[in-house]
Amino acid sequence: MPPTETVTLTIDDREVTVPAGTTIWDAARQAEIDVPVLCHSPRLRPVGVCRMCVVDVGERVLAASCVRPCQPGMKVQTASTKVEQHRAMLTRLLLSDMPSERDGASSGKACDLEALGHRYGLFDNHGQLRDDFTARPAAALDVSTTPGLSVSPPSPNKGVVESAAVQGSHAPRLPERPRDFSSPVIAVDHQACILCDRCVRACDEIQSNDVIGRTGKGYLSRIGFDLNSPMGESTCVSCGECAAVCPTRALVHKPVTLPVLAGDELRHVDSVCPYCGVGCAVTFHVNGDTVVGVDGRESVVNHSRLCVKGRYGWDYALHPQRLTTPLIRRSEYYPKGALSRQVQSSARDASADKRRKPGGIVDYAEVLPAFREATWDEALSLAARRLIELRDFHGPGVLAGFGSAKCSNEEAYLFQKLVRTAFRTNNVDHCTRLCHASSVAALMETIGSGAVTNVFADVARSDVALITGSSTTQNHPVAATFIKEAARKGTKLIVVDVRRVDLADFATHFAQIRPGTDVAFYNGVMHVLIAEGLVDRQFISRRTENFEALSAMLLAQYSPEQAAAICGVPADEIRAIARTIGRAGSMIVFWGMGISQHTTGTDNARCLISLCLMTGNVGRPGTGLHPLRGQNNVQGASDSGLIPMVYPDYQPVGDAKNREKFERAWGVPLDPKPGLTVVEIAHAALHGDIKGMYILGENPFLSDPNTAKVRQALANLEFLVVQDIFLTETAEFADVILPASSYLEKTGTYTNTDRRVQVGRKVLDPPGEAREDWKIICDLAGRMGYPMEYASTEEVFKEFSSLAPSYAGLTHGNLGLSGKLWPCADPATGDGTQILFGDRFPTPSGRGKFVPCPWLPADELPDEAFPFVLNTGRVLEHWHTGTMTRRSHALSTIEPEAFVAVNPADLSRLQIEPESLVCVSSRRGTITLKARADRTVETGSLFVPFHFREAAANVLTNDALDPFGKIPEFKFCAVRLERADG
Amino acid sequence: MELLRELTRLQHEHGWLSDERLRTLAEERNVPLYRLEGLVSFYTHFRRTPPPRVAVQVCRDLSCCLAGGPALIAELRDEFRGQDDVEICEVSCLGRCDAAPAAAIDDKPLAPITLKDRAGVRQRIAGRSTIAATGTPAAQERFRVDPYATENDHFGTIRKWASEDADIFSRIIDVLKGAGLRGMGGAGFPTGKKGEMVARQAATPKYVICNADESEPGTFKDRAILQHLPHLVVEAMILAGLAVGAEQGIVFLRHEYGREQIAVERALGRAREMGVLGSNVAGSGKRFEIEIFVSPGGYILGEETALLEALEDKRGEPRNKPPYPGEHGLWGCPTLINNVETLALGASIAAHGVDWWKAQGANGYSGLKFFSVSGDVARPGVYEVPYGTTIRELLDRAGGIRDGKALKAILPGGASSNFLPPDKLDTPLDFDAVKEAGSMLGSGAVVAIAEGTNLFALATNIVTFFRNESCGKCVPCRVGSQKGVELLEAVARGAASAEELAILPALGETMAQTSICGLGQVALNPILSMMQHFPDDVPGARR
Repeated sequence: MPPTETVTLTIDDREVTVPAGTTIWDAARQAEIDVPVLCHSPRLRPVGVCRMCVVDVGERVLAASCVRPCQPGMKVQTASTKVEQHRAMLTRLLLSDMPSERDGASSGKACDLEALGHRYGLFDNHGQLRDDFTARPAAALDVSTTPGLSVSPPSPNKGVVESAAVQGSHAPRLPERPRDFSSPVIAVDHQACILCDRCVRACDEIQSNDVIGRTGKGYLSRIGFDLNSPMGESTCVSCGECAAVCPTRALVHKPVTLPVLAGDELRHVDSVCPYCGVGCAVTFHVNGDTVVGVDGRESVVNHSRLCVKGRYGWDYALHPQRLTTPLIRRSEYYPKGALSRQVQSSARDASADKRRKPGGIVDYAEVLPAFREATWDEALSLAARRLIELRDFHGPGVLAGFGSAKCSNEEAYLFQKLVRTAFRTNNVDHCTRLCHASSVAALMETIGSGAVTNVFADVARSDVALITGSSTTQNHPVAATFIKEAARKGTKLIVVDVRRVDLADFATHFAQIRPGTDVAFYNGVMHVLIAEGLVDRQFISRRTENFEALSAMLLAQYSPEQAAAICGVPADEIRAIARTIGRAGSMIVFWGMGISQHTTGTDNARCLISLCLMTGNVGRPGTGLHPLRGQNNVQGASDSGLIPMVYPDYQPVGDAKNREKFERAWGVPLDPKPGLTVVEIAHAALHGDIKGMYILGENPFLSDPNTAKVRQALANLEFLVVQDIFLTETAEFADVILPASSYLEKTGTYTNTDRRVQVGRKVLDPPGEAREDWKIICDLAGRMGYPMEYASTEEVFKEFSSLAPSYAGLTHGNLGLSGKLWPCADPATGDGTQILFGDRFPTPSGRGKFVPCPWLPADELPDEAFPFVLNTGRVLEHWHTGTMTRRSHALSTIEPEAFVAVNPADLSRLQIEPESLVCVSSRRGTITLKARADRTVETGSLFVPFHFREAAANVLTNDALDPFGKIPEFKFCAVRLERADG
Repeated sequence: MELLRELTRLQHEHGWLSDERLRTLAEERNVPLYRLEGLVSFYTHFRRTPPPRVAVQVCRDLSCCLAGGPALIAELRDEFRGQDDVEICEVSCLGRCDAAPAAAIDDKPLAPITLKDRAGVRQRIAGRSTIAATGTPAAQERFRVDPYATENDHFGTIRKWASEDADIFSRIIDVLKGAGLRGMGGAGFPTGKKGEMVARQAATPKYVICNADESEPGTFKDRAILQHLPHLVVEAMILAGLAVGAEQGIVFLRHEYGREQIAVERALGRAREMGVLGSNVAGSGKRFEIEIFVSPGGYILGEETALLEALEDKRGEPRNKPPYPGEHGLWGCPTLINNVETLALGASIAAHGVDWWKAQGANGYSGLKFFSVSGDVARPGVYEVPYGTTIRELLDRAGGIRDGKALKAILPGGASSNFLPPDKLDTPLDFDAVKEAGSMLGSGAVVAIAEGTNLFALATNIVTFFRNESCGKCVPCRVGSQKGVELLEAVARGAASAEELAILPALGETMAQTSICGLGQVALNPILSMMQHFPDDVPGARR
């Protein structure tokens, strides 16, 4: 039906005109006529099961308005006596089965059914049901409540249930339906469930997690998880969408901090999630000085969706281990070294430490005695004095700073400004070096810009989406919901990964490549595209350069058979994938650390760029290059200049014109030499070339490769200031520790993976004497002789945006509740530019450049002594070095300890029992942890998440670097796997 | 279809469906676990625990109840109490109301053996009887609707029309409209009109479905037609397919009709041999195929949109309508769904012509009709009678009320129809006449109830059937039927007073007005009409 077609009808004697296909319920809503409903919400596909929204359309029976399309000339009565009588009866039926008073009721959650009960006068003055169909006494309750039954029993034989409970029985009443507390985050009360199927659609359609469905039939129906398992034992990923949409108290968020009681007066703060680069819009609910809950907020970014971290993982900010006062290292703890057992022991052979208890967060009793409390004045004076001494004695090149991608744009801007002006060096970097440095290097080199060319949600318009080196459902869970939704609606997914990631279940093609063979695979795909004439000739000739060089190399060396021999994907599958790409009208490419964290990371990204360029898949709807950014503000921290070779907005420090611009703006001479990168700084510290450091909100001890070296490097520093919210592993080596603010305790802007700049708003005051990070930076700068004075972060943002053309025109004020994409030509009204490079690329020639990349093997290949390939990464519930997530009750309960994922075939070959302790060793060290059987990991490969201090994956990893992006090879090193008792 | 067929195959192969097996299937098919759980917990055919040596299904519904089922079931339970290898499970109507009280072993009906034949049942449970049951003998062998004298004449209409290069669509619509044929599944929708609607749709592919899932207590006429006249059903499906432009037909058959499945398969085989089914139907150059889908169980699947959901491997929950299947049916495509009898009669009319059809009626009506007659009659069975035959005449053909008892009440159209008192015996069995009399013709299941039967208990039994068979999708049916049953049982027990039944008309009206499908809309009819006509049967009623 053409969208212009309209239908005119009468609703409650009002004439209403709506687009054809509009339901009566939606039409009534547009006319501001409220039709009560339980099973429907505008976010959901209507199903018409509660029947509360019935209206009279003059037919034999009433019609459910949420599913009935408007017809021309229809006369609708939404609230006639007849209609209201039936609604009252339906309400009465449902209320008669509600649990009288159970735990759910104390969740403070409003119940839509109860509200209807009040509307229809079904409660008396004491809140009791006037008549509930069940007021008559029951005879012998032989099938009554089973005491202690709090979780759903395994699905019983249908026949048994029938004869025991409903059908065979003339038993008076059925037993109350069970409650299920098995999930760490959601309480289920089946008795309060009205089978509205909202949770079913939330789980299976909004989040595409496919866990909840109906089980049973008729009056015995209820919602079930997987094969009617207890929720906590199901494949539920705890996103909480089900509880968010539940209209009764059947699914309730368990209290994360304080329970919310009816009548509590809450403050609500609209902000953004502190975790990943998706940047979901959230609302924090605050009771006094405690956050008590979070909800997804309607926004173009996440449409109210959240993941387990965003919804339940914010309580780290309220953890008792928060640092609340500045600390100075006691003299007796020199020379410096690690303090806690885990940080000391991870260097030693783990066999010495086999009987230790399972890990967890640091025991402050082990580390705090090394420090004494100090005043801010004393701590900052000491820091300033020592840094100045080192700078003035050895030269500015001995100082370095690590900023943080978890801090705001304003803080990142101030931090790099401090290092460049007060430290007088460009030795400033942050964890972008460890995640997408190679992607950015390749993007800058080929298309002149390091950011995404299109937003992730545009996958809805893509014919094909290529997802590679990304476990999107774990690392960008909400972005993954958009990809899964697109797949359900017809977008063909091509998933290329060394692991069978969750998205493979939604994929048209899944290619499980051998580790470190991405270049060979994509070269093979591009060979087919060229050989079969599936490239976009016009785009190549108009928009690109150097195609011939690439083409010649590919045709000569990368036939599908040649590529297959390297990457392990059959040649015909390479062809099929190439044809799917070549025949698609549009393709968007998503990639993650599986591409970037290699010594060939830049080559890997170059291949993806070439693939898009030769098929013309940049600059149009449904197309684009989208490196999924990890941290909430890794895009923004890079934009703000937290990079050693560029000033804010990627203006190279080596360029005299840029230098003059910033010297003018900042009023001091600047170092013309690009600074050192993260791993280079660690190496320099090891050799004594870096002597003093300021580390803000980063934890290189756990996040950087080859922990043994990092330990030595940190211990080798003459002076280290660590600014953080907890006493991290890195802080064990500090001379001064400054208590900082958590995300919840300050206002600033954060730029998500889409380039969307959003305002994160202050929810709480920092605890104790802890201070907002930007204020600490300014204070230290002043004490080092470079005064920085700002009234607010808004003022900082103004200065930053005046120096960063991409952010021109943006202010805290005009970013509003949904933020804006940079660049934004018309900040007063526009949302910013979604799709970049429709006409030209910001390169000197205006063209995109093909860079031929021959395949190179990884730096350290497996051999007889170290036969396995180790892959590292993250899990859904944890964040980087675990500083935050391991202090979240929900997240640490779900995933409490370290593990290594091993293919079951390898486990049985090595006679290792699943869940038993194993040792994983590389040339650099050994860790001891539990083995987990995991078929998504290929034989010969292992996967270890790097969040866990007690078995830090980076003890094992190789610190060899990609020559262009300077990113270490986190995704590939040779290891050995052994039983811990063997 | 694939997923449910695979589950059925696994159920047959292993006798039950373990979690492990379901997990493997989910992985193989890349299907979420919740979907499998939704299916295996919804359809009665699937077991989630290992089966005993013998699983006996005993019918607990209307006609079997009238035949003394409850007492006989209790005796059977007593006899096998403590024998773990024998499971006795009460189930919904098995479609063997003419062999009541009916039972089945491992879903294979024992008829003609009934629960009254204790020795026979015992032998079968012991596994000693190797005699294959022959089924209930038909009340008649030769049917007037069948235009074909011998098997070789079968499919004559399709062969003739194809050889004449006829416009099959207009021919079939003409005869159906001329004959005034209405849907015999219960709703009585004009058959020709339905066909036109599907033919009009531009979308393809289209489907033709034979609804052979009759499961309402008292209804078993389609079983006899499938057994004795499957060639008419098959021919009508082919004609319908060519008429509306479909290439695929599906017979949706209830799983207890194993013997009938064989008959239909045989007819399909014959049709293929004779060249009227396949890639070139009777030389017309058109293609039409028919496959059988065996229902995994549940009365609700007779509701046409629930049936479609089952064919799409979903839980058999009726859809919200509109859109109707004619526009938006199987996989969203235009779909023609007709009942077994409608199809058979259609084929008969096509062969015989409208004039012949009109000459067949009685009492001024035209045509023929099949009735399932059960309950307290001497010779329960399926009867083919002139359309318009009165209730009295039909009961007489079935031998009258058994044991010389007097008639107390009639259900003229199956479990969902209203009770009629004996003074309505001379009502012609016609859609409008029965409606006029205060009930409905429904599926043509005439149940006679003799004097001495407590109708409150019987009505409670029927409401309980609907409660048991409610799919649970919508609130009024799922909760309303349960609350209705709870109240009726409480009144029967004396735990609630008869006055409390005053809520039932309002509850019934809400269920009728707001339920998604017919099941919930009619679920309280039996008790409401019983209270109207036979108030004295209510326990504790003021006399």
